[in-house]
Amino acid sequence: MPVTSNYTANASPLFSVLTSTQCDDILLAAQEVLERTGVTVMDEEARDIMAKAGCWVDGIRVRIPSAVVRRALQSVPNRVTLCNSRTGSRDVLLEGHNAYFGTGSDTPFTIDPYTGQRKRSTTESVGNACKVIDALPNLDFVMSLGIVQDVPALVSDRHQFEAQILNTSKPIVTTAHDIYGFADIIKMCEIVAGGVEELRRHPFMTLYAEPISPLQHAWEAASKLVLAAKKGLPVVYTPCIMSGGTGPATPAGILTQALAESLSGLVINQTTREGSPFIMGGVLTIMDMSSTVFSYGSPELDLQMSAYADVAHYLKLPMFGTAGCSDSCLADEQAGIEAALSIAMTCLSGPNLNHDVGYIEYGSTSSLEYLTINNDVIGMGRRLVRGIAVNDETLALDVIDAVGPGKDFLSEPSTLKYFKTETYSSDLLDRQRYEAWQAAGSKTLFERANAKVKDILENYEVDPLSSDVRSAVRAVVESADEAVR
Amino acid sequence: MSYNFDELAESVIAGDSELSAALTQQALDAGANPVAAITDGLSKGMGVVGARFKSGEMFVPEVLMSARAMTAGMDLAKPLILAADMPSSGKVILGTVKGDLHDIGKNLVSMMLESAGFTVINLGIDIEPETFVKAVSESDADVVGLSAMLTTTMLAMKATIDSLAAAGLRNKIKVIVGGAPVSQDFADEIGADGFAPDAGGAIDLCKALVA
Amino acid sequence: MYEVRPSNRQTGSGINADEPTARRSSREGRVRDLSRSQYVASNYQVNETPQFQVLSDDQCETILNGALEVLERTGAEVQSSAALEIFREAGCWVEGARVRFPSHLVEKAIRSAPSRITISDRSGKRAMFLEGNNVYYGPGSSNIYTLDPFTGERRQPTKSDTVRAAIAVDALPSISFAMDNGTVTDVTATLSDVHAFQALVENTTKPIIQSGLGVDQFQDVVDMAAAVRGGMEALQQNPFIIFYSESSPPLKHSAEGLDKAIFAAKARIPVIYAPCIFAGGVAPATMAGCLVVAVADFLVGLVAGQQVSEGAPFIMGGLMSTMEMSSSILSYGAPELSLLSAGLTCVARHMGLPMFSTAGGTDSKVIDTQMAIEAAFSILIAGLSGANIVHGCGNMEYGATGSLELMTMDDEVIGMVKKILKGVTVDDEHLAVDVMDAVGPGGHFMGEVHTMNHFREFWAPKLISRLRYDPWVAEGAKSMAQRVKEKTQDILSNHQPERLADGVLGEIQAVVDRAEAREAGKSGT
Repeated sequence: MPVTSNYTANASPLFSVLTSTQCDDILLAAQEVLERTGVTVMDEEARDIMAKAGCWVDGIRVRIPSAVVRRALQSVPNRVTLCNSRTGSRDVLLEGHNAYFGTGSDTPFTIDPYTGQRKRSTTESVGNACKVIDALPNLDFVMSLGIVQDVPALVSDRHQFEAQILNTSKPIVTTAHDIYGFADIIKMCEIVAGGVEELRRHPFMTLYAEPISPLQHAWEAASKLVLAAKKGLPVVYTPCIMSGGTGPATPAGILTQALAESLSGLVINQTTREGSPFIMGGVLTIMDMSSTVFSYGSPELDLQMSAYADVAHYLKLPMFGTAGCSDSCLADEQAGIEAALSIAMTCLSGPNLNHDVGYIEYGSTSSLEYLTINNDVIGMGRRLVRGIAVNDETLALDVIDAVGPGKDFLSEPSTLKYFKTETYSSDLLDRQRYEAWQAAGSKTLFERANAKVKDILENYEVDPLSSDVRSAVRAVVESADEAVR
Repeated sequence: MSYNFDELAESVIAGDSELSAALTQQALDAGANPVAAITDGLSKGMGVVGARFKSGEMFVPEVLMSARAMTAGMDLAKPLILAADMPSSGKVILGTVKGDLHDIGKNLVSMMLESAGFTVINLGIDIEPETFVKAVSESDADVVGLSAMLTTTMLAMKATIDSLAAAGLRNKIKVIVGGAPVSQDFADEIGADGFAPDAGGAIDLCKALVA
Repeated sequence: MYEVRPSNRQTGSGINADEPTARRSSREGRVRDLSRSQYVASNYQVNETPQFQVLSDDQCETILNGALEVLERTGAEVQSSAALEIFREAGCWVEGARVRFPSHLVEKAIRSAPSRITISDRSGKRAMFLEGNNVYYGPGSSNIYTLDPFTGERRQPTKSDTVRAAIAVDALPSISFAMDNGTVTDVTATLSDVHAFQALVENTTKPIIQSGLGVDQFQDVVDMAAAVRGGMEALQQNPFIIFYSESSPPLKHSAEGLDKAIFAAKARIPVIYAPCIFAGGVAPATMAGCLVVAVADFLVGLVAGQQVSEGAPFIMGGLMSTMEMSSSILSYGAPELSLLSAGLTCVARHMGLPMFSTAGGTDSKVIDTQMAIEAAFSILIAGLSGANIVHGCGNMEYGATGSLELMTMDDEVIGMVKKILKGVTVDDEHLAVDVMDAVGPGGHFMGEVHTMNHFREFWAPKLISRLRYDPWVAEGAKSMAQRVKEKTQDILSNHQPERLADGVLGEIQAVVDRAEAREAGKSGT
């Protein structure tokens, strides 16, 4: 390349929904909400901590002065790294525009890949789901893809975590009923990591908690934020707001409320212990005004999540996003549309830890076929974000000249060199000619995905935990069972 | 003389509270039968709204606006009607069960039931089984609806039904359940009388159970 | 009727106080009346739409310079003798069939071509504004099979299929223009485009993008279109047709291809002169190399056109993707198609010319989730890229088969993408801080006046289902494919497009008859 100056290139496509001024406006509005309206905090310990940090507490209503919010934003780390639970390798870097994908957790139902039946999820179905996630290269982290319902309900969270940790080595975002469940789960994690300090330095999990919109931090949620901070473990705090229902009917209003809920959660967390790792985020969508469903496939969800990502980038906070999910009761064309839009938007806007891949039926049911299909959609999105490289070699003017008008590039060495890296290839997306596809059985994508799921379930082997660790983890679960018997 | 309540019904359909109050007052001042004002005007308009909501022509916020308009008129007509003559589709007690603070679904059911002519006692959130029992024994409700959002709090539904049975009230009232993790199977398992997946379904279910 | 959806718009706005204030919140007394808001804030630059840019301006310039270098150094093979003469006259370096283009001539052509082209509908009403980042979607053409939406049969298209395609285009609100959706096979082979145009123009009022075998067929189309508009001048001032002609990459231009572009330029009818490119096949395997070839091929047509008719409306673009190496298909579903198209769109923006792009298609041979994924992905990226004409909605089986069901599904997806392109408005009314305060922690927004005022801005699904599980089962547990099929069949059975006057229909038929006679004469029958 000739010597040149003053050259700006897009090393990857540029994408944004909001300008930084608009992001700032949302921050300012959220700060106003927290100072003027405040939030309810139903945990006494959290309220005490907040009061000591300068918040105005009236009963369970807590108003947060803007300065307290700013201090929390300054102390919170701008990056969180999650590791592989077996090897400790630092695989998931939640920072900047890095977009990672994973599944969702608590669906009451799942589709059985062998019978096609919609049935209640169980320990086995969660284990199977984790195995599939572990096998799929474009899935980076795990959530359970089902509520374990064949065990005592009050301690099902311990069983649910156990089913996950046994069946995947990828990082886990874990739910729990309350801080007692979390305490047991943390114990299990410390066993797997090899110690308290080891877990803190190389976390392979994050805790998960949600406010109740609008603007409420229930006891379970607030106490989880406090516990996470005390333990110095990462926590995802996720407002799940439906526009027109539990939040205002405008996107800017949803973003403001989400940020107010996130920041008040951040304040609880940071005033308990400054510098504790925190991941903001949410599921920001609409209430469908006909069916009243909390919509997982709406274009508003895609737009609002991307806008929220801009806000998170502006604040330099890692963000938990939502993609690869559908309102459809089947992994059908609608599910395909909704996944394509949400995954593409997510890859472009770059929230960091993106969950709910594999959710159908507006989050009530998990589908392993859909999950497997979306592995390829994520691949497509990632290819898009790799962008177009413009340099002497890729411009290939010499090659064009050498080949000449009217000839072809098929046997060019550069073609051989580049065609594999320039294109995303998938084993599920069919690019055969009609006759070949027919000869192979005229299968639909769903059928191919189903075959792949079965293949994984029957043949894939997860990196196992040692038997000592397994037993120690089991002991924690059993003692929880004992306590409720 | 029979008064024409068409305009009143239209004002409810349009969700215009000011107009429905004014028209109701006008009708009452003109000596119209207050019960008729409800059945042939306010409730009739609301019935049209309900049908349009079901068919997808009208939406939740519009239904609530209409319900508000209906209430504006009802508040003027009610004082003039004896309790025994008050038209009502039935009485329903609603609450989110113990340990659960989620209530938007329940509140939507509450508002939709009222718009369908039911009298609703909304107990709120995190309601102990004993509180449900007390509410049932103190009212002459036809149905009690239990709502839960979490699989852990779903268990409280069974506890509530058991408490009603223990208090000898189980046969006096119909119990229905709803919420994201709830299903017909679960309702059958715990001995509930019905399950509805959404607010519209809840109205139909209550109508069927009261009949 | 054909909504303009600009992407990539930024504006600066100084005053926040002129949002129309509707009714107050229901909680009287607690709400600050926004219309009395006294403050004015400067320096507020907003995104009115999402912003999406694959290539920087510098990268676009590099691509363009690469194309100019190719044209000057390597040149193109030109098989049209008329074009060779035109190039020689213009000052190009012509050796036999090889033409090399001095860059200044090419740059001059780029400058003289218009940066905005307005296309009307059949009645002359101005409908598609091909400028800036405005996006319009429509179907594809020249597929050799069609998927019958009634029988499910994959068969060769007939003229009645083109009629169906026109009816569907006419009915679908987010489809802005028509293309033939299949090469008509039950007519005189050399007149398939002419018959297709007749079928389209008689069955939709929307603009038509039309290809043709050669100049004769283009003339036939012009004559029919002029008859509809009441004369050539009327047609030129408010064209409702756009011609489509292709080069033969890399760097080869057939006689018919170039002659058609020259014809269109002389007739002052907008023309798309574009290559169909697959990476590793007719262009380098690298994306940047593909873009260079795409731009270079277009510029050859542009130079010829501007030389004979300065200021003639030209549209650049093309169908670009990777070649699937095992099956050798040009992939319609690959993400690379979207990336290449978006990249070329950036270059077109840089050059100040309207862009013809591709989306809404799939490699799938059956209506399934793969079809939906590939169509939706490409429709989104094309919309975000701000390409002016996006064709291909309905192309399945890597373009070999056209499906009206896919076009119907795409119409729904385009609605979703339009919602995304609307972006997020950030101002007092939309931030709704007052509303949140009025509702308070633990309240709800369903009955708020603010909700009433805004909930209709939510995108309204027609084919997408948000039914809960039990009601969905009760309604037949339908997949989206079933709903799409029902809607497509309903449109084809019931939609009545506006009819042309009998006189005009007669004139159109006369053109077709004349063409038949001419072709019969040629083949000696």
